[in-house]
Amino acid sequence: MQAVILAAGEGTRMRPLTYTKPKVMLPVANKPILQHVVESLAKAGIDEVVLVVGYREETVRRFFGDEFSGVRIRYVSQRKQLGTAHALLSAEHLLNDRFMMLNGDAIVFQDDLKNLVNEENAIAVCEVQNPRDFGVVELEDGIVRRIIEKPEKPPSNLINAGIYVFTREIVDYLKKTPLSVRGEYEITDSITMAIEGSMDFKAVKIERWIDIGYPWDMLKANEIILSSIERDVRGEVEDGAVIKGNVAVGEGTIIMAGSYIVGPVVIGENSIIGPNCYIRPCTSIGDNCHIGNAVEVKNSIIMNNTNVPHLNYVGDSIIGENCNFGAGTKIANLRLDEGEVIVNVRGKAVKTDRKKFGAVIGDNVKTGINASVNVGSLIGNDVFIGPGAVVGGFVEPRSRVF
Amino acid sequence: MCGIAGYIGFRRADEVIISALKRLEYRGYDSWGVAVRHENEIRLIKRMGAIGDEKTYSVAEGNAGIGHTRWATHGKPSEINAHPHTDCSGKIAVVHNGIISNFQSLKEELESRGHVFSSETDTEVISHLIEEFYKGDLREAVEKTIGRLKGSYALVVMHAEKDELVAARYKSPLVLGVGDDELIIASDVPAILDYTSRVVYLEDGDLLVLMKGDFEIFSDGRKVNRKVETIPWSIEDAEKGGYEHFMLKEIHEIPRVIEDTLFEYLSDDIEIDISFAAGVSEVTFIACGTSYHASLIGKHLIEKLAGIPVRVEFASEFIYHQPPMHRTLAIAITQSGETADTLEAMRIAKKLGARTLAIVNVLGSTATRIADHVLYTRAGPEISVAATKSFIAQLIVLYLVALKLSGMTKSEMEGLLDELRIMPELVKGVLEHEDEIRAIAEKLSDYGNMMYIGRGIGVPIAMEGALKMKEISYIHAEAYPAGELKHGPFALLGERTPVIASLTPDETYEIMLGNIKEVKARESIVVAVTGHDDAEVEKYVDHVIRVPRTDALFTAVTHSVALQLLAYHTAKARGCEIDKPRNLAKSVTVE
Repeated sequence: MQAVILAAGEGTRMRPLTYTKPKVMLPVANKPILQHVVESLAKAGIDEVVLVVGYREETVRRFFGDEFSGVRIRYVSQRKQLGTAHALLSAEHLLNDRFMMLNGDAIVFQDDLKNLVNEENAIAVCEVQNPRDFGVVELEDGIVRRIIEKPEKPPSNLINAGIYVFTREIVDYLKKTPLSVRGEYEITDSITMAIEGSMDFKAVKIERWIDIGYPWDMLKANEIILSSIERDVRGEVEDGAVIKGNVAVGEGTIIMAGSYIVGPVVIGENSIIGPNCYIRPCTSIGDNCHIGNAVEVKNSIIMNNTNVPHLNYVGDSIIGENCNFGAGTKIANLRLDEGEVIVNVRGKAVKTDRKKFGAVIGDNVKTGINASVNVGSLIGNDVFIGPGAVVGGFVEPRSRVF
Repeated sequence: MCGIAGYIGFRRADEVIISALKRLEYRGYDSWGVAVRHENEIRLIKRMGAIGDEKTYSVAEGNAGIGHTRWATHGKPSEINAHPHTDCSGKIAVVHNGIISNFQSLKEELESRGHVFSSETDTEVISHLIEEFYKGDLREAVEKTIGRLKGSYALVVMHAEKDELVAARYKSPLVLGVGDDELIIASDVPAILDYTSRVVYLEDGDLLVLMKGDFEIFSDGRKVNRKVETIPWSIEDAEKGGYEHFMLKEIHEIPRVIEDTLFEYLSDDIEIDISFAAGVSEVTFIACGTSYHASLIGKHLIEKLAGIPVRVEFASEFIYHQPPMHRTLAIAITQSGETADTLEAMRIAKKLGARTLAIVNVLGSTATRIADHVLYTRAGPEISVAATKSFIAQLIVLYLVALKLSGMTKSEMEGLLDELRIMPELVKGVLEHEDEIRAIAEKLSDYGNMMYIGRGIGVPIAMEGALKMKEISYIHAEAYPAGELKHGPFALLGERTPVIASLTPDETYEIMLGNIKEVKARESIVVAVTGHDDAEVEKYVDHVIRVPRTDALFTAVTHSVALQLLAYHTAKARGCEIDKPRNLAKSVTVE
């Protein structure tokens, strides 16, 4: 079966991380989000994936090539991101008679996908606590009657997970879809028209689904994925290093004496860990990283080629590629009043629903000694933070903070 | 100058070609045409004037097509002279950008062999030559044809019975866009960006065969591989982004353009390797139009800061004197990197022994391949015919080059570098005065003549200011060094000729005030461009455009942005087209 994955958007809510790479290529448990999706599809029996790419598409094309995990990969450039229906329509010339469509920025799992692959026209639905924030589906005998976007009074707590099986008939409706109030061509509008035009979509319930909207959702996804990893230590572990629980360590990585690692933790290849550091659960550390002496890291994502080398604290944070922390740079992750962390996303306050949340730091950021990063900071790529500086809020890319 | 496009893939070719032509309109727009291959026939339409909507004009169904937007060089604008041009059988269609210099003799030869020509264009000889050589292999026929052509060409050819396009390039720009199962070839990148950001820049002498989903490139009869590059510009970059005209949008992009250009070449120190200038005893700039004015400012900067003698040459004139250049650094400035005169002058300068440096905005353009060294301005695509942001970006590069050539130590130049670093803010300070500038522009819009004056660096500022005014508002504007007025141009002044004076905070200031008083005595309206803190000049002039105070060297940036806005709003008040002024085209690829 064929699957079309929408992977063209920048993901502006994921800034600053998406200034340098598309959202679907951000790593969770050391793999791009999209890789998790493609691998799940492969295991569920999908043999061809059409990637609808756009923003920084080269990153996606280079990573996946023509074949990945035994699946044929084909590409379509969606040159302007005009909505989900438009995205699917841009792949019109490649569509099979029956195909799956899903988003590249929500992690799904093979068991759920297996339940979908044999359907004709179907919509995956998922039970959530807060249906008001999603498109809620109204069912009749297991058939979707309506999709209501963010309703005041949800008729159920089943929401549209954005995973569909379509037959080619949908194409006619895609072409007729009008612009929505948001100014986009939306697949849910196409489906509504198809239902009115007497197409039936079966609701297929899925159990697990991790939608990634804001950077802190990556931490949640990271926790979930890491919770099911197995112990797999390939690098060198020196005497005097302690590794507890499920920890994966890649080839060429050295864990030096005095390192104390509590799983679940994943560490990539050719990294240098320790001596004398404390890596706490739910942490992903990429390739070619250095976590050095007297450093504590917890519940964080540290991307490739980044050094957190001496006397640092990193908690509940996401740090981009190619960063270097000066000695003593620390990230705060808890408000003094222990209240919910609220992040300033370009002048707009956004709730994280987390009591503990540190910072999101873009690629190529360098900090001086004893720089302090406040709770809930978003720091753009290529920023320099001087020695002893205290930063908070949103820092524009390429800034110099002294 | 023209724009061409070709498409082969899975979409309706006529829609793709018309949308591509619209993005090439800046290259010329007196007429246009599209041909589509439909059931082993060539279907074609040709129209006069601006390019229509792809939804209104349907040529025929078909997934391969070619198109052309024309700016007449041989034969007046008309439907007959519009491309594509076909052969006698109507099975071969050709679009062409460039000039075939031996077309007259080829035409006579072909006519004597019985070919019937329907247009006055040089291009039509190409379709008849291909017909003459065609024996079932289109590539071979095109290869033989280009062997007979003299001049410059970028061309795309289609045959009614062949599911392929053949293209060739020599001294005219041509870029191949590589999509998924589709190919689009065009004169410039904006035409391609709607479909893909992956491109191959073609080289002189390249011959291409485009098939569905695949292509081959030949050079000197051998198959070659060319690198596929990714264009970082988004389509939004190439669109108006909420402004009424591209020109205004591009002026407002200047702060960002300066930042991007500085980011490229200035961190703690100036990151330009000037080993290419080691041992040179003089610098010669070669450029045309706005780039020529940037060069004049470059001369001022390099002579003042580095003490190296500098000449500035119009590229189109340089070819006529050809001095020895063994110890010369020739700096060519061209936004597009495709300006035919500048390219020719660069080739000659190289032949005369010069080392060549190109300051260019378009990655991979021809100039970048001719020059020994290249510095890029990071202005992004410039659509408006009148150059604005690319000019400022050129100045930024010139400041860095001049400072680097100066041999000053880092601490000596630190003050200037700091000022350069805040230049984006200073330009924002100019843009904040847009309302006042507009009010002055509206007052100026009724006049038919203007005089721009300055001294020192103020002279090239005045020249560029006057050029902007001429090209978009169609007001006759002249620029003179203020000291030259009394040697003739004074005779032109009077109450119907406003004078725009650039005052720079240096040794020229006092004497400029004197010149302004002289002008005022002739009853001309005077508009002064000067620093925020100038309390003196307002006593003598009618209007003052204030810009943030800078070192006199940097007034080339602040004053020029103010004068760009003045020209824009004057043209707008006069109801001019602005982005596509009459008789002009963006990049002049003919000599």
